[in-house]
Amino acid sequence: MKYAVINKEDLNKWLEHLKKKARLYAPKEKENLFVFRPVKDVSKICLEYIPTILPPKKYYFPQKEKLLKFQVNPFKTAKAIEEFEEFILFGVHTCDIAGIQCMDVIFRESPEDPNYLNRKEKMTIIGIECLKYCDEHANCTSMATHVPRGGYDLMMVDIDKVFIIHINSEKGEKLVTGLSYIKEAKDEDMFRLDRAREEKKKIFKEELAAPLPKVYDAFDKSFGSQVWKDVGKKCVACGNCTAVCPTCYCFDTADDMELSLNDGIRYRIWNSCQMDDFAKVAGGEDFRKGRDSRQRHRYYRKFKYPVDKFNRYFCVGCGRCTRTCMADISLKETVNSLIAGQSA
Amino acid sequence: MKKQSKPKVAFFDFTDCEGCQLQFANIGSTLLDLTELVDIVNFREIMSEAGEDYDIAIVEGSISTDNDVKRIQKIREKAKVLVAFGSCATIGGVNGIKNRTSLELAKKRVYGDKADLINTIKAMPLHEVVKVDYKILNCPPYIPEIIAVLKCILMGKPYVLPNYALCVECKMNENVCRYEKDQECMGPVTRAGCNSWCVNNGNRCYGCRGLVDNPASEGAKDILLKYGLKLEDIMNSFTLYNDCQGEKFDQYLKK
Repeated sequence: MKYAVINKEDLNKWLEHLKKKARLYAPKEKENLFVFRPVKDVSKICLEYIPTILPPKKYYFPQKEKLLKFQVNPFKTAKAIEEFEEFILFGVHTCDIAGIQCMDVIFRESPEDPNYLNRKEKMTIIGIECLKYCDEHANCTSMATHVPRGGYDLMMVDIDKVFIIHINSEKGEKLVTGLSYIKEAKDEDMFRLDRAREEKKKIFKEELAAPLPKVYDAFDKSFGSQVWKDVGKKCVACGNCTAVCPTCYCFDTADDMELSLNDGIRYRIWNSCQMDDFAKVAGGEDFRKGRDSRQRHRYYRKFKYPVDKFNRYFCVGCGRCTRTCMADISLKETVNSLIAGQSA
Repeated sequence: MKKQSKPKVAFFDFTDCEGCQLQFANIGSTLLDLTELVDIVNFREIMSEAGEDYDIAIVEGSISTDNDVKRIQKIREKAKVLVAFGSCATIGGVNGIKNRTSLELAKKRVYGDKADLINTIKAMPLHEVVKVDYKILNCPPYIPEIIAVLKCILMGKPYVLPNYALCVECKMNENVCRYEKDQECMGPVTRAGCNSWCVNNGNRCYGCRGLVDNPASEGAKDILLKYGLKLEDIMNSFTLYNDCQGEKFDQYLKK
C-alpha cells in the first residue's frame, strides 16, 4: 500500500491508537499561538496552525540535555540516558520536516552525535501538507519546502472529508495497516489529491524576489552590505530568531554538581550566535562583536555556508524568525534588500 | 571531595527589605542538605545567636550611609569570601531611584523637617565600595541560582553570570512573547539566569537582574515605542531596578 485514506470522523480513533503505540506529540493552542506538546486529550490537537513557537526540534535536540553522569572520587563516568523512548511527532509541517533533514546532515557528520541519533532512531514523523499559507511571513515556496520531499514516515493531506495518507516507510505502514477505518486509496482519491496539488500551485508562489541561485549570488557579494548595519541597529540580541529556527543547532556544554560535590552531570544547552559572547575567545578577542555582524552570520548560516559545505540551504521558509522578532527584522525583507542591492 | 571542617557562613543586611534572607530561609529541605556543607553562624531571621567568626559573608542591601561604608569594609576584612546577595547588593536595585535627585531633596522627601539629622550618601551596590567575590542576582534571589552559587563557592570555582538576554531562557521555555500580546517586558535587555521565572508565571520581566553587559538600549527603546509606550514610562521601566547602572542607557534615553 502506498497511499491510504481515513475519514476525518475516524481521526481521533486513530490518534488513540497511535497514543498506545508510542509517546505522541502534536500541535495545540497556547494563548494566541501554537506549541508541540505531549498529547493527553486527542481532541485538543490542532491541525490548522501557524508554525509552533519552537519547532519540533526540542524533541530530538532538547533545550537542555544530559550527556553523561560522572563521579569525581573515585573517578567514574557513564551514559546519562540508558534508554530512549519511542515517540511520534504528529501533524508536522513540511517546512519542519525539511528542518529535521538539515539536522540530520549536521548530526550525522563525523563525529556522529550519539544522543541525536539515538533519539532520531526512536522517532516517527507523521506530517501534514499545507494547502494554504500559514501567514505572510513564510517563504517555503522559494525554499521548495512547501511540498513533501521525503524525511517522513506518513504524510497526510486534508482533502474534503478525508485525509489521504502517503506511506513513506515501513514504520509508517505499520501504523496504518490492520485498522478497519484506514483503507487503501482508490484512483478517485488520487485524482482528488492531484487536483488539490494543482490548486495549491495557484496559491503558493515564490516569496523571495529571485530564485535561489540568485539569492546565493547576492549573499556571495553582500558581506559588506549596508543591509547588515540596518539590521544590526534594530536587533536587540534577544536570540529569539535562533531559538525558534528549525535548523539552528549550536549548543554549549557545562557540568552541574550535586550537593554532595562528588557526583555530577554534564549537559548541553542551546546556544546562539546572537549572544554577545558567542564568538569571544580566551584573551578576550571577539570575532563578531556587533549585533550587525552576528545577524549577518545567522543569515550566512542559512543561505551561504551550508550551501558551500553541504549543497543545501538551511532556511526552510517556516517564517518563525520573522514572526518572533519583536524588532520587526523580516527574513524576506532582508534577503530581498540584498537581492535589490545587487541588481541596483 | 574530602570533607574538611565546614566553612562558617554569616548573613548581613544593609539598605533593603531583608527579603533575600527570607528567600534563603525558603530554600526548603535542601537547606538541611546545605547545613551538611556549611555552618550558619549568623542569620537573624532564623536563629537567635549571632557568631562573629565567619568565612563566608552573604550580604544583602545597598550601601547608602557613611556608616554602611565602614561596616561593609569591616565585614570584608573578616570574610574570606564576600557574596553580594540580591538586587540591592549587586546592582543597587530600587534604592537607585534615590540617586535621580539631589541627596538634599531625597532626605527632605523622606524625613521632612528631621532631614538635617540624617546622614546619607548615594545608593551603591557593594562592589562600588569593596571587592565582591560572588554575585547572586535577582529580587528576590532565584533559589536554584542561590544553590548553584553556593556550590561554586564550596568548590572554589567562579560563578559565571550569563551575558545574554532573558529572552533566551524565555524562548527555551516556549512562553508566548509578551510583545506578541502587546505587553511590555524588560526581557530583551535584562541579564538571563532566572530561567524567565516571572514570565513563566504570567508576569512581565522587571529587569531585577540588571542589564546585560552590552544592552541594545536603542533597539529596545524602538521596540517599546513601537508598542505604544511613552518615553517616560520606558524610563521608569529601565530605571526601576537599574538606576545605579544608569550610564549604560543614559546616552540613548536621557537625551
